[in-house]
Amino acid sequence: MTTSHPKGSSAGPPEAEVVSSEPELRIGVFPCKCGKNIGAVVDIDAVAEYAKTLPGVVHVQVNTYTCADPGQREIQEAITQHGLNRIVVASCSPTMHEDTFRKTVKAAGLNPYLCIMTNIREHVSWVHQHDPKSATQKAMDLIAMSVAKAATLVAQPELDVPVTQAALIVGAGVAGMQAALDLADAGFKVHLVERQPTIGGIMAILDKVFPQNDCSICILGPKMVDVAKHPNISLITMAEVESISGYVGNFEVRVKQRPRYVDMDKCTSCGDCVEVCPVDVPSRTDQNLTWQKAIQIPFPQAVPSSYFIDPEACLGMDLIRCGKCIDRCEQEAIIPSDKAKYIDFDVGVIILATGFKPADPSKTPRLGWGRFPNVITTLEFERLINAAGPTEGKLVRPSDLIKPTSVAIAQCVGSRDIGTRSACSNYCCAESVKCALLIKEHYPDTEVTIYYQDLRMHGKYFEDQYLKAREEGVKFIRGRVGEIQQYPDTKNLRVSVEDTTHNKLSMETFDMVILSMGAEGAAGDFPLPISCTSDSFYIESHPKLKPVDTSSAGVFICGGAESPKDIRDSVIQASAAAGRAAIILQKGRYPIEALSAKIMQDLCSRCGTCVSRCPYGAISQDGTGKFTIMGALCQACGTCAGDCPQDAIYMPNFTSQQIEAQIETALAENPSDKIVAFACAFCSYRGSDLAGVSRMQYPTNARVIRAMCSGRYSVKFAQKAFELGAGAVLYSGCHLPADCHFQTGNVWMAKREPRIRGWMKRNNIEDERFRVEWVSAGEGKKWQTIMTEMANAVKTPRKNIPTPKTQTVAKSEKSAKSKTKTTSKDKQAGKPRSPSKGASQKKTTRKK
Amino acid sequence: MGEDFQRNQLKELKETALPCFQCGVCSSSCPVFRVSPELNPRLSVDSIISRGKVPSEGNEWLCAYCLMCDQRCPMGVSLAEILMVIKNISAREGKAPPDVIESAESLMADGCQSPISSRSEKQREDMGLPKLPRANPADVQMLFRATGAAEVVELNRKAVEEASE
Ligand SMILES: Cc1cc2nc3c(=O)[nH]c(=O)nc-3n(C[C@H](O)[C@H](O)[C@H](O)COP(=O)(O)OP(=O)(O)OC[C@H]3O[C@@H](n4cnc5c(N)ncnc54)[C@H](O)[C@@H]3O)c2cc1C
Ligand code: SF4
Ligand code: SF4
Ligand code: SF4
Ligand code: SF4
Repeated sequence: MTTSHPKGSSAGPPEAEVVSSEPELRIGVFPCKCGKNIGAVVDIDAVAEYAKTLPGVVHVQVNTYTCADPGQREIQEAITQHGLNRIVVASCSPTMHEDTFRKTVKAAGLNPYLCIMTNIREHVSWVHQHDPKSATQKAMDLIAMSVAKAATLVAQPELDVPVTQAALIVGAGVAGMQAALDLADAGFKVHLVERQPTIGGIMAILDKVFPQNDCSICILGPKMVDVAKHPNISLITMAEVESISGYVGNFEVRVKQRPRYVDMDKCTSCGDCVEVCPVDVPSRTDQNLTWQKAIQIPFPQAVPSSYFIDPEACLGMDLIRCGKCIDRCEQEAIIPSDKAKYIDFDVGVIILATGFKPADPSKTPRLGWGRFPNVITTLEFERLINAAGPTEGKLVRPSDLIKPTSVAIAQCVGSRDIGTRSACSNYCCAESVKCALLIKEHYPDTEVTIYYQDLRMHGKYFEDQYLKAREEGVKFIRGRVGEIQQYPDTKNLRVSVEDTTHNKLSMETFDMVILSMGAEGAAGDFPLPISCTSDSFYIESHPKLKPVDTSSAGVFICGGAESPKDIRDSVIQASAAAGRAAIILQKGRYPIEALSAKIMQDLCSRCGTCVSRCPYGAISQDGTGKFTIMGALCQACGTCAGDCPQDAIYMPNFTSQQIEAQIETALAENPSDKIVAFACAFCSYRGSDLAGVSRMQYPTNARVIRAMCSGRYSVKFAQKAFELGAGAVLYSGCHLPADCHFQTGNVWMAKREPRIRGWMKRNNIEDERFRVEWVSAGEGKKWQTIMTEMANAVKTPRKNIPTPKTQTVAKSEKSAKSKTKTTSKDKQAGKPRSPSKGASQKKTTRKK
Repeated sequence: MGEDFQRNQLKELKETALPCFQCGVCSSSCPVFRVSPELNPRLSVDSIISRGKVPSEGNEWLCAYCLMCDQRCPMGVSLAEILMVIKNISAREGKAPPDVIESAESLMADGCQSPISSRSEKQREDMGLPKLPRANPADVQMLFRATGAAEVVELNRKAVEEASE
């Protein structure tokens, strides 16, 4: 990364210290009844009274609906009237309304990051409906924890960065072309980078395309020309992206273009050169079914409309070794000295449209492709039936060039098989039916049988195709082909299938078999760390609500690179991606998340551990050995901080100091009954919310601490909790291996488990008191089960409470002191079951 | 051994069978199915999945354990193992076919399935090879008893006799 980032470097004084020197803390607490949702279970007035006793709290106001307009207004008025500088809203889940209340306080002139929420609905009233007393107690504890955290909140700058109003689109198949045309038409500059000598992708070599079976190149060709002619599109073929640096709005791109050896401006595509070139190489376009020359054009409609030389096939572009084409070309278009070149440019957004690969038939050897000439793939069939193909559209058997009288089509090859790819490839059922129809259209007498496992004709107009195929006499037999054998003399093929409708073996003989090939992911081979599925398709930011965004801001995906799909869906996604990208480009500035990590240089020991933890490559070392975090790349997961041995990484809003304050407060009283439960914002916390929304009841022991990502949970948090006598500790995150919103935070968290368990063993703490659990946002039930099981685990008192080894005498004195303080305060309050907390020294001193 | 063991075995069987999506690759790859359509590995698996029961027809005893189905199953179902467990469970219920019991008994009696012929003994001698050791039925019987196979054979023998009565 060479670009300087907009938030300044992470050097400078650790900002955590600024807080403690801040003169006066004026916290406002706003407990909400949420109508009866909270009010019917939690004694809100008692909670409010209690909140008034908390250190730093100067104003408490109960509301029936805090999120409604009057409720928000009250917060704003209170900020002005009482000079509040920290706000705690105790109501529903922050997932629901954190944004709402941040905006509220911002409108009143307070920095939005100085407002936090306490979840007393999803985590309290909805899940402890039958135990109002303990529920009220828990609500008090949670508020005390939030107040403790609020005391150390720091204002975070709200930042935005300028945006370069240009886009990089990688891959010029139909998806990349569509996205490029949309953005270019909207007035943005587009750099379209294509690996092959022509644009068009797979669609350019197909014959007809389902569901209407219209001519593929006839509909694609004009679009290709539009791309070439568009003044806003700069097309770079035979090229790949070499490197990308920067961040949303400001990517610096370097593209490496291979030499073409033919001057595109001079070449008139007359083809004279081909007549003299002595070298034959298998034709890529025609799937190796025929030959082409070392100097070639992929197909007549190729864009750019220019020949190129395959340097590996060429004998030598000089008169000694060959050079015949140079001699022949009247345009003098051939450039023997052509070299690879680098092209640099800046863009604000990136769209990845790199498509998929048709699956490799040799990975399914039982079907004989490669050994039996008359077993072909769907893509080979496309070329054979294509008027521009090697046989000029005549369907013949490769073994003897005779027209087949019977053809079988075997589905699900390379798909739905754990040996290749276990998912369905989505387009190949329709592709098989299309092939059958094309054969019937050209040669109505040919017998065509489709062997399918499930026929998935799910798309618009697809069913019509299926019905038409039945009308045309195509046979459909349910059963996946087990094996194909060849008769050595005739090269006919015997197809063994179990007709699973009739439980009978069928062994028919065919002249030709077409394998309906699925898709193989090709994503990931790219100089940007965008996460991919295990079968190499890019992962979207949200499968339903953000299907073309990625977890990297400003990077979008579409077409076959996202998942196998047909042309129509690719184009839909391409336009969607262009639309999403245009939002960023059009505004000219992009707001970036203020919560990014910073390294406190005075604490950093320069071990470099953090570098490997960051899934976004945001941490780098400069020439002097100093590590810094580039703010615009950091997504604030906190994984680096979770593993920093020096605790030298400052995570705004989730600092170690804040989390430890929450732990201390949670465990101030009866710690052995308590479960300190860490939950990550994107999966497990949402899972716990779902348990609330679904009113799944469980015991009241848990005190939840929310972090952005499970990667933030340091080893020392669990240790700290156990040292303070916690009954149990839960580390929960998104499911392994790939569900983590921040890609790998959960993986790094899981690696800490053995260390925590080892420490527990040495300190005589029972194993079952610590749990690592993966809870997705949909697993409310699982959260309930964990809570119930862990509540059982804390029923037995702790055997051993280790004295903190690393802590100083002063610290242990502190905890002793706070105990006495608590009791004295209990007396003052004169309550039988005092909810009073006041655990940490900080609070008690502030109170005095 | 008892019921618990049986129930557990059935539970494991179901788990192994569960990924099967009834595509028919196993059956169309099975060399036995080609000649004896009674053995349909797909249907054996289906019976476990959809009926939750070990099939009672005894067709699994036809399996030649060639592992072709196992090798080709796109879902990685261990079919040959499933068929083997089905055989084990049904044998413990006294449902092994008589010919299987007979060959087990002859193994116990003779210590081997096919005794060494005098011709091969002679050949070995001519070639100067050492004599093959004689099978010792006592060893085999010990194995049968130690593994509980003897009990199963016994049980099935009784079942065969009862059936013939
Ligand atoms: C045999 C077959 C038949 C089909 N028939 C139909 C049909 O009848 N109807 C239908 O709707 N759909 C059909 N499809 C599906 C259709 O081909 C896809 O939906 C469509 O091609 C997806 O377009 P795309 O732009 O996402 O990907 P592609 O067409 O694969 O284009 C991707 C482009 O990106 C380029 N590229 C890849 N990596 C890089 C890189 N790193 N740098 C630069 N460039 C790169 C590639 O060279 C390629 O040009 C068929 C697919 C196959 C395989
Ligand atoms: S689309 Fe049809 S042929 Fe392709 S993998 Fe899915 S079910 Fe099989
Ligand atoms: S690991 Fe997470 S918090 Fe740390 S720099 Fe990277 S993105 Fe930011
Ligand atoms: S091959 Fe595997 S998935 Fe297919 S029917 Fe047989 S066991 Fe089931
Ligand atoms: S292992 Fe048995 S069931 Fe499977 S293919 Fe071989 S004979 Fe058929």
